[in-house]
Amino acid sequence: MNTHAPVFESVAKEDVAWLGTDPIPATAYYDPAYFELEREAVFRRGWIQMGHVCELPEPGSFIRRELEVLKASILILRSQDEEIRAFHNVCTHRGTQLVEEAAGKQSRFTCPYHSWTFGDDGSLLSAPDFEQFNVAKEDCGLSKVHVEVVAGLIFVHLGTPESGMRESMGPLADRMDELPIARATTISEYVYEIDANWKLTYDNFQENYHLRFIHPSTAGQGCGGDNPFGYPEEYGFQGPHRTQTIWTNPETGIPSAVQGVSYMKIGEALAKRDLMIPGAEKNYFALFPSFFLFGNPGTHFSHVVYPISANKSRGVIRLYWVGDDENASERYAREYGMAMTRDIHVEDRSVIERGQRGLESGALKHIHLQTNEALLRHFFNEVDGRVQAYKAELEAQGAL
Amino acid sequence: MSVLPEGYEALEPFVATYAVDNAGRRAEMRGEAPSEVRDAFYAAAQPLLAPALDYLDTKQFADYDSGDKQLMWMMLSLAHVAIAVEIQQEDEERHAHLRSFMPVTRAPADF
Ligand code: FES
Ligand SMILES: [Fe+2]
Repeated sequence: MNTHAPVFESVAKEDVAWLGTDPIPATAYYDPAYFELEREAVFRRGWIQMGHVCELPEPGSFIRRELEVLKASILILRSQDEEIRAFHNVCTHRGTQLVEEAAGKQSRFTCPYHSWTFGDDGSLLSAPDFEQFNVAKEDCGLSKVHVEVVAGLIFVHLGTPESGMRESMGPLADRMDELPIARATTISEYVYEIDANWKLTYDNFQENYHLRFIHPSTAGQGCGGDNPFGYPEEYGFQGPHRTQTIWTNPETGIPSAVQGVSYMKIGEALAKRDLMIPGAEKNYFALFPSFFLFGNPGTHFSHVVYPISANKSRGVIRLYWVGDDENASERYAREYGMAMTRDIHVEDRSVIERGQRGLESGALKHIHLQTNEALLRHFFNEVDGRVQAYKAELEAQGAL
Repeated sequence: MSVLPEGYEALEPFVATYAVDNAGRRAEMRGEAPSEVRDAFYAAAQPLLAPALDYLDTKQFADYDSGDKQLMWMMLSLAHVAIAVEIQQEDEERHAHLRSFMPVTRAPADF
């Protein structure tokens, strides 16, 4: 028993009262009309994380990513002059999607339809029988998408950004720069589809209230002693973004046989690469609109919820590693870290879908949130503020 | 005829099931093999994990012979199987169903 364990102090009701205390409307979590407004108000006007620079290791590397909520396909590449650029994956002749491969290496992109060919700066290099057109090649470049890299993460903006991603993150950007993700060279990944609204899905991952009920054996160690729900020590708010400082249970049990060896291998692998960053394991970042990052270097994952419709979403969870697997032990440590993280994530999916089915019945007019669901409330406030402002714009234009 | 390095003969009966060269497939195999096979693999492999990694760490991946590769893949499978046996225990069956909705699509060990 650790007699020096500090006493856990929960965040107080008064600390988060500024976010409001009224119940929030349930319709926002299933109404297709609300979702239509979110497409523009939140997603076309926001920075969306779509990749990591390690996926574009050299000039000519490219990735194609789908962004269903804006019906967009995005081509992201590293150009010969080492710039990361993003374009709509749409041929400027008659709109054919240019690239079919999910990733690859090439500096020219030729449309399969009539063979228009584009360079890695998006310019139209050649087009058969182009004299027959009544347009200049200079006016036929690929449609550019704003792109910004923060801590190795590639964010795109499909509208006209009011501010940069880094700028909006304030001190969070520097904090993320310190984490392994900023230097990561390789990734583990698992994905899911879910019959649930993107906010309901995202919300699940920003409260610990459910931990002891949904994750009794996996995340159970995160609950106990004077913190039976495993609530965080602190919540932080930075513009539209949020953080939690995770509480770690000082009373961890004795690990099982393989678990013990695995924890040791994870620790050794990190120590060898100087990645034992003090306090990193307590950091959990929630970047607006739908990105998470867990700081713990041994299970250093991002989780993005991409909306598909009002009641359908998909999630991408990625763990980030610095350097190729050095040896068997490091390879093993990474596989165990991924398997462990996935075991926890898979436990959430079905209960979220169950929540969606309940809400869609219309039985609830409102959702009640407690002090330790403060991040959900902040998130809703940020989304709804944008939706209402956009609605007012449309009304002023007479479009609604 | 043994394919595994000397000292790992006890794992021979499990090569066909657990020497799997892809992380996504290893994750699936955790749930696909019958629980008796899984438990027997865990019992045989658990004491060999630390020595196997020590042995494999003496080599570069490029120098692995086919037995070394099989041993590596089996230890990676053990990472998945051990979570079933040590953590999930009686919940494993229900859990396997939940996991089927979250496939592993990428891991550094696959390259
Ligand atoms: S649509 Fe691409 S070349 Fe015609
Ligand atoms: Fe959870």
